[in-house]
Amino acid sequence: MSKVIAAPAPSPLRAFWLKWRFHINILLILVPLGFMPRYFSEAALFRGDTGIGERVAGDVQVGPWSLTLAEFRNEGPRPDPAGPMKFFNAALCATCAEQVKATYLRIGKPRSLRAAGVIFFGTPYRMGALLPVPERTPADAELWVTMEGWDGTMHQGSIPLSQASPATIAWLNKQGVKP
Amino acid sequence: MTLKRLSRVLLVLCAGFSTVALAHNPMCECKEIAGGQIQCTGGFSDGSGAPGVTLDVIGYDETVLLPGKLGQDSTLTFKKPSAEFYVLFDAGPGHVVEIDQADIQPQ
Repeated sequence: MSKVIAAPAPSPLRAFWLKWRFHINILLILVPLGFMPRYFSEAALFRGDTGIGERVAGDVQVGPWSLTLAEFRNEGPRPDPAGPMKFFNAALCATCAEQVKATYLRIGKPRSLRAAGVIFFGTPYRMGALLPVPERTPADAELWVTMEGWDGTMHQGSIPLSQASPATIAWLNKQGVKP
Repeated sequence: MTLKRLSRVLLVLCAGFSTVALAHNPMCECKEIAGGQIQCTGGFSDGSGAPGVTLDVIGYDETVLLPGKLGQDSTLTFKKPSAEFYVLFDAGPGHVVEIDQADIQPQ
């Protein structure tokens, strides 16, 4: 007189889950592995293991001093509430690291030291500046570097924007000439 | 209880690190208003205003035509100078915005 009630057959979806759940979970563990190469390349870029930026533009002579300028990312300016912005990194020359007080970056020749542009932050060996790129920037524009020394002297130097950042020139050409 | 405490710690951490990610680039906009006057509004890209920040009107010959500071509403209104000029929003070294007279929207 035993009463045996047969369990209802599981739905096809549940049957699939019960059969494959172990393997699906293994796959989930593997998913992060796909992101690992990008993660490590980004970490190396941020840490400086791959140099001061994705693309080194070259050296800029600024009076008695010089600096190595690099694009942090080899791409056009990124949108920002304050307008399109392009991030540049730089390293001062070995001998001038102790002599230079501040380094500024600007598109076009600065009118004065007060309006010398954006300032570089960071150590002399790896510093960064977020440069606003006006949409009306001409393709033949120059990037001007202004350096202020601890002795009170000021020196300026420039590099063509096309050399400093071809990606920005491509971005400007894509934007078209603004009035 | 532990979960609640953990979520509080997480909230504090998120709030703490969010400020690191927020850049605050200076912004300034000038427009011509009635009566031959120009109104400039300053601020920062994180949405904050700039009351008390220096805003100078400077001639092309680098003479300061009109030294000024933004009011409590982050604006400054001044009479359009007759000489050629540009506006310099100066929130400190490397935190400046230049607006040339040619870039000021006419009324």
